[in-house]
Amino acid sequence: MMSPHTRPRRRALGLVAGAATFTLVLTACSGGTRVGETTQESAAPEASGAEAGLGDVEGTLRIAYWGSGPRVDLTNGVSDLFVAENPGVTVEPESADFAAYFERLNVQGSSGNLPCVPQMQGRQLASYATQGALMDLDPLIESGAITVPDIPEEVIDTGRGPDGGLYFIPYGAAYDAVEINATLAEQAGVGLPEEGYTWEDFGEYITEAQGSLPEGIAAANLGGGLPNYFIAWTQARGEEMFEDDQIAFSEETLAEFWTFWEDLRNAGATSTAQQRAEEPPQTEQRYVAQGKVMLDSVPGNALTPGQATLSGLAPGQELTTVAMPSGEGGSGNVLFTSGWAISANCDNVPTAAAFIDFWANNDEAAALFASNNGGVTNTRHLQQQLDNPELPALKKHELELYQQVIEAKPPTVSYPAGYQANFETAFNRAYETVSLGGTSPEDAAAAFIAEVNAAFGAQ
Amino acid sequence: MTTKDSRLTGAGVRRRGDRTSVLPDVDDLTDPGSSHGRRASGQARREALAAYGFLTPWLAGMLLLTLGPMAYSLYLSFTRYNLLTPPEWQGLANYQRMLVDPRFKASVGVTLEYVAVAVPLILIVSMLVAMVLNQGIRFLPFYRASFYLPSLVGASVAISMLWRTMFGGDGVFNAFLARLGIEGQSWIGNPDTALYSLVALSVWTFGAPMIIFLAGLRQVPKELYEAAMVDGAGPLRRFFSITLPTLTPLIFFNVLLTTVNAFQAFTPAYVISNGNGGPLDSTLFYTLYLYQRGFTQLEMGYASAMAWALTVVLGLFTAFMFATARFWVYYGDER
Repeated sequence: MMSPHTRPRRRALGLVAGAATFTLVLTACSGGTRVGETTQESAAPEASGAEAGLGDVEGTLRIAYWGSGPRVDLTNGVSDLFVAENPGVTVEPESADFAAYFERLNVQGSSGNLPCVPQMQGRQLASYATQGALMDLDPLIESGAITVPDIPEEVIDTGRGPDGGLYFIPYGAAYDAVEINATLAEQAGVGLPEEGYTWEDFGEYITEAQGSLPEGIAAANLGGGLPNYFIAWTQARGEEMFEDDQIAFSEETLAEFWTFWEDLRNAGATSTAQQRAEEPPQTEQRYVAQGKVMLDSVPGNALTPGQATLSGLAPGQELTTVAMPSGEGGSGNVLFTSGWAISANCDNVPTAAAFIDFWANNDEAAALFASNNGGVTNTRHLQQQLDNPELPALKKHELELYQQVIEAKPPTVSYPAGYQANFETAFNRAYETVSLGGTSPEDAAAAFIAEVNAAFGAQ
Repeated sequence: MTTKDSRLTGAGVRRRGDRTSVLPDVDDLTDPGSSHGRRASGQARREALAAYGFLTPWLAGMLLLTLGPMAYSLYLSFTRYNLLTPPEWQGLANYQRMLVDPRFKASVGVTLEYVAVAVPLILIVSMLVAMVLNQGIRFLPFYRASFYLPSLVGASVAISMLWRTMFGGDGVFNAFLARLGIEGQSWIGNPDTALYSLVALSVWTFGAPMIIFLAGLRQVPKELYEAAMVDGAGPLRRFFSITLPTLTPLIFFNVLLTTVNAFQAFTPAYVISNGNGGPLDSTLFYTLYLYQRGFTQLEMGYASAMAWALTVVLGLFTAFMFATARFWVYYGDER
């Protein structure tokens, strides 16, 4: 028999259960508006055909980029110039540090809320391009909505995804360089490596320098865990890094690379594996910037901030950069570019296209930004900056080296989806099994390739 | 009617128009009976509405921000989900992968070792300091605040970076060892010692359990100590026969909370290892690996499965603690 209290209790329970079900349905459904599903419908009419990306430049434009401090001011300064030229446009910027930027982008992508114009880099591109999160910009170039007459084609190609579509327009090109404490190198009597030096020359250079350096200073920072050194190693041998979203280089190539560094480490010519493990990641805090090692590989645009640190810690010492070692296969330098993309869910494509076009062509904007995120890809702008007598000497050196790298027609590496997450972190960990764990380079190379290929295959 | 009476006459039975009731009696609301009944029903309705009004923010928060996402993550744990494309149902595959994932096993090993070493150390140190502070020393509020302070900032990024400076190869700790004639090493860069530098950080932040122990020590009746001293009990005997048993409810509370927190430790390992759990996965805490899988490798389904596995383990641990409590936790009001 039903007690007098049963009905109300059931109703109360029913109320709670109903609210809970409603909430679950609500939360479950809210996850359904994702980039790949919905946005192409709205974007498609504007993203193809002769009129692609053309239309009224007006309304609000959300842009997002990585960087902090000065770069935020410079990027927002360029946005202000764009708004001044296009009254009726409001630019809403979002910025974060590099790692946090991509994490936030992923979360925004999950709810179909990517900014209209997100900044991209080649190493992350495939993760977004293969998921339909970004718009193919080729039709916008064909229609004239975006014009890139002064950006070399091989640089434009770094914005292409695995399917050949153009997913971002590179405005800045960074390259990896070997940063050398020129003062220490001079004291050690080795000077700087000659242009076109090989990996063999590089090893001899490090060993020779170690013999004459002050106590406690290593000639090189241990580099076996740096993927960018390894990319240069494969390019110098003319080997591909990736093919069909799998690793293309051989186990021997990787094992020999790690053996190269192990020989130097065992000879006492590098920092120790433990020192390397606790090195701060910020470029301005790296050991070479602190004067604790004579050389290391850093992004080319890290020269100025590195020098600022060194000048504070060891006044009088000077840093410089040289190209990466080369080999029979060619230059070891590859470009990694940064640029602007248009998200597939963007509902203001004409303004987004106009914004990107402004970055690619406007002289005043380029002069203001001053190659802050890698050398400016527009060759006219590059020459203007090199000709500027007020350009600081270190920046001038950085841009001249960039010009030297670009003249060598650097190869383009096409990075598979999940490269950053699956390759870069695993690479350092795999080398640690050699340098700290005592695994042989051959075994570590085999294990690393199997692990990364499996991860790429699961993407 | 007392509570005891109501139990005797039938659980939860309420009389119509019982004004002590907060929940509405629906029969009252619809009963077209006496004027007294109508007044009462109007009153009950208003009270019920007020109650639900006050409850709504909490209820909405609980459902929308806690239970809803939790239920959704349970669903995600059975899917393959990379954030950018819709989840694909794949049954128990994520849970099966955990069993063969070497880094998952490594993270479980690291976390268990951390919990096994850090939790007892934190509890012992915090109790010892609480006992020292309970001796009626001068400037007690100052010392209490000083010892408590690290627990407020211990999990912050700034302190984690300070720890790098402390235990790095050129760190303060090695400089101290050098004064003693001992050659130091890179405590953070060495896979054999990196975890213990994090244990040291967690032990340093013993403030919260210490304050709780201190409050408990002040509640121990002084007569017990006096009686024990009259009977000739020494300090050790007094500690094991009076202090420790009296503190068992607080030990229970602190063990539970400290263990659950230790299982979820994240920030120090993230900051000190630059987010990779190195060197050689020696600081790869469970939550750090979960974070890597979810937000770096975009395997949100796998990360959700890991989160639920941890939830189940913590639930089992909590249940075990409560189940065994009656054998070792002493409440003063019990016979």
